Amino acid sequence: MSVMNMIQALNSAHRVMMERDPNCVVLGEDVGYFGGVFRVTEGLQKEFGKQRSFDAPISENGIMAVAIGMAAYGLKPIAEIQFADYIYPGFDQIVSEAAKIRYRSAGGWGLSMVVRSPYGGGIFGGQTHSQSPEALFAHVAGIKTVIPSNPYDAKGLLIAAIEDPDPVVFFEPKRIYNGPFDGFYERPVTPWAKHPAAEVPDGHYTVPLGKAAVARAGEAVTILAYGTMVHVAIATAEAEGIDAEVIDLRTIVPVDIETIEESVKKTGRCVVLHEATRTAGFGAELSALVQERCFYHLEAPVQRVTGYDTPYPHSLEWAYFPGPVRLGLALKKVLED
Amino acid sequence: MARYEFKLPDIGEGIAEAEIVAWHVAVGDEVKEDQQLADMMTDKATVEMESPVAGRVVEVAGEVGDQIAIGSVLVVFETEAGAGASAPTLQQEGTETTADGERTDTVALGDGLVAPTPAQEQAIPSAKEEQPSPPARPEPVESAVPSTPPPSGGEEQQAQAKAQVLASPAVRQRARDLGIDLASVKTTADRVRHSDLDAYLLYNGGSVPRPGAATRQDEVVKVVGLRRKIAENMQEAKRRIPHFTLVEEFDVTALEQTRAMMNSDRGGNPKLTMLPFLITAMCRVLPEFPQLNTRYDDDENVLYRSGAVHMGVATQTPNGLMVPVIRNAQSRSIWELAREVVRLAEGARTGKAAREELSGSTITLSSLGPMGGITSTPVINRPEVAIIAVNKVEEKPVVIEGELEIRKRMNLSLSCDHRVVDGWDAANFLQAMKKVIESPLKLLSM
Repeated sequence: MSVMNMIQALNSAHRVMMERDPNCVVLGEDVGYFGGVFRVTEGLQKEFGKQRSFDAPISENGIMAVAIGMAAYGLKPIAEIQFADYIYPGFDQIVSEAAKIRYRSAGGWGLSMVVRSPYGGGIFGGQTHSQSPEALFAHVAGIKTVIPSNPYDAKGLLIAAIEDPDPVVFFEPKRIYNGPFDGFYERPVTPWAKHPAAEVPDGHYTVPLGKAAVARAGEAVTILAYGTMVHVAIATAEAEGIDAEVIDLRTIVPVDIETIEESVKKTGRCVVLHEATRTAGFGAELSALVQERCFYHLEAPVQRVTGYDTPYPHSLEWAYFPGPVRLGLALKKVLED
Repeated sequence: MARYEFKLPDIGEGIAEAEIVAWHVAVGDEVKEDQQLADMMTDKATVEMESPVAGRVVEVAGEVGDQIAIGSVLVVFETEAGAGASAPTLQQEGTETTADGERTDTVALGDGLVAPTPAQEQAIPSAKEEQPSPPARPEPVESAVPSTPPPSGGEEQQAQAKAQVLASPAVRQRARDLGIDLASVKTTADRVRHSDLDAYLLYNGGSVPRPGAATRQDEVVKVVGLRRKIAENMQEAKRRIPHFTLVEEFDVTALEQTRAMMNSDRGGNPKLTMLPFLITAMCRVLPEFPQLNTRYDDDENVLYRSGAVHMGVATQTPNGLMVPVIRNAQSRSIWELAREVVRLAEGARTGKAAREELSGSTITLSSLGPMGGITSTPVINRPEVAIIAVNKVEEKPVVIEGELEIRKRMNLSLSCDHRVVDGWDAANFLQAMKKVIESPLKLLSM
């Protein structure tokens, strides 16, 4: 066991898998020599060589296409897109090729590959460095979409993603790389070292894809969240004195509907929280699922707390960020009746 | 102008009619919507009736003190609404209510359903009543649109109306499980909440079916073996024997002291219960009351009075009641009786009792110890003619020579076969028992 932040945990996952599996290769912009702009791939090239960890030109389309080709030939590429905001040039490759190969080959041919990408705001990155495009990928059949919320899960989920026989999009909430930011932006940031999930095994372990975690047990209302928002949800529940149950989805596709259902049937109330824009966000899917599965247990309409339907602003970051104030209001509203 | 008949609504399930206790309007009055019309009293509560419409009162159903059937017309109005239209005409009073008070009009299910689900059909008896026409969904009175001519004959649906009831899905589900029509639940908010359902349940007491499934499954149990034997014996005893039961209270303060004393020094003997003392008391007294210590062959009309006391001791076993017999109880000491009671009870419970240990009693004693209740009506163990049930010992305030004292008291309930035992015999027997039970020295020295 070591105390790790999320970057170190992800780096550890890479090392563990590259040691275990010579087919594991890492590619992306600045991932090799430089070790990644967020340092996730630091030291990999030095340790495993330029053939196992190498820099790509600034061409996300190319990075995706190369990774798909490698995976088709039996390698296990872990491709980094430097910011999720840059992923769109590669989107066609992901949607049209990566997501379809399994189907197109009648199940005979899978692409075991991971697309890693830091995502989300709260880092003053504005419209081009803060986006949360997870719903776009959740909507594409044929890929899994994973979003960890702490170092332990980050490593375990990344290893599970690498070992998965099919393509996985792995979004890393960059605001919590170094500490569990909880949305109270005026408070000093606590480092991961003080968080229990920073205790990370040094060796190999997995956190299964498709299995949510109850991040905080409660009886009054269920908050569905993932990534940074898990910490916002827990902190808001504590600040408001609301006995909320916080479900950390960890994987949005496949989503762990059983855990959600069990919780909402218990509490009868549900708030969905995500940073991405509201319309057709993943919260819409969650809200619909809850309605389908738990309708007769619902005491109040499901509330969504999300980013606004605007680009992530350069200024007014905290007005956009769905933090404790908006979540607090939604919790009160859903608890009204 | 249209005629609007306001029928006395179902103001509480299981209520067939209500009494008019006050009129707040008279014929000729102009009333506004929601204006108070009358106070109606049921055996549960007095309910204020408010006008569902604005209009002029043209007819009222009766005077203060009259009973009005649920569903029959209480007030007839002339309203502006629906002018020029044939407002629904209504049949005569009372015809909507069946003899047992069940409403025969369609129950609005209140949560948007127009037909009852199977569960509701079970839960709401009145929802089962067949309607010739599609059940109308309630709609606002104000919009009571002049309808086509009323459905021919039968009970027509008043196109009467109510705003749609708002409630969360969870509240709806609970109401559905409870068989409650949400439309009948009052709320001060804009929607029906759990607290409103709680209040409704409170007001209606137990008249609303409990939620959820039965807490136990239905079972079919064959009456066989010992149970069948018990059933036959009990049935025959009750069929043939005209029982009467006499209950007398005994002061057992002294007896309890004696018992405690003997128990504190009992050595290897089993702990004494009340039974050995009572058996001894009966054995001492019964020689003077041979008519009680008797087996009665009622086919031959012969009484077999027994010289010895063969005491039946009613014993609960896993399979049911058994009555092992202490032979010649009169010749056994208190300690011997205690041992015998324990031995026989054990034998009966484990099925090891011999046949002769389970038959031949001449009188029976039945005791449930501290669970013996305050009185009982024991069933005679045929062909005997008497049985005593022991009721619990309890501390009670008693007046003794003008002074209030706390004493240990116990009832004995004696059932006798009135064909051959008179009340006089029973009373005298109990008085004789009283003498020995209340004087333990006498009991133990006789």
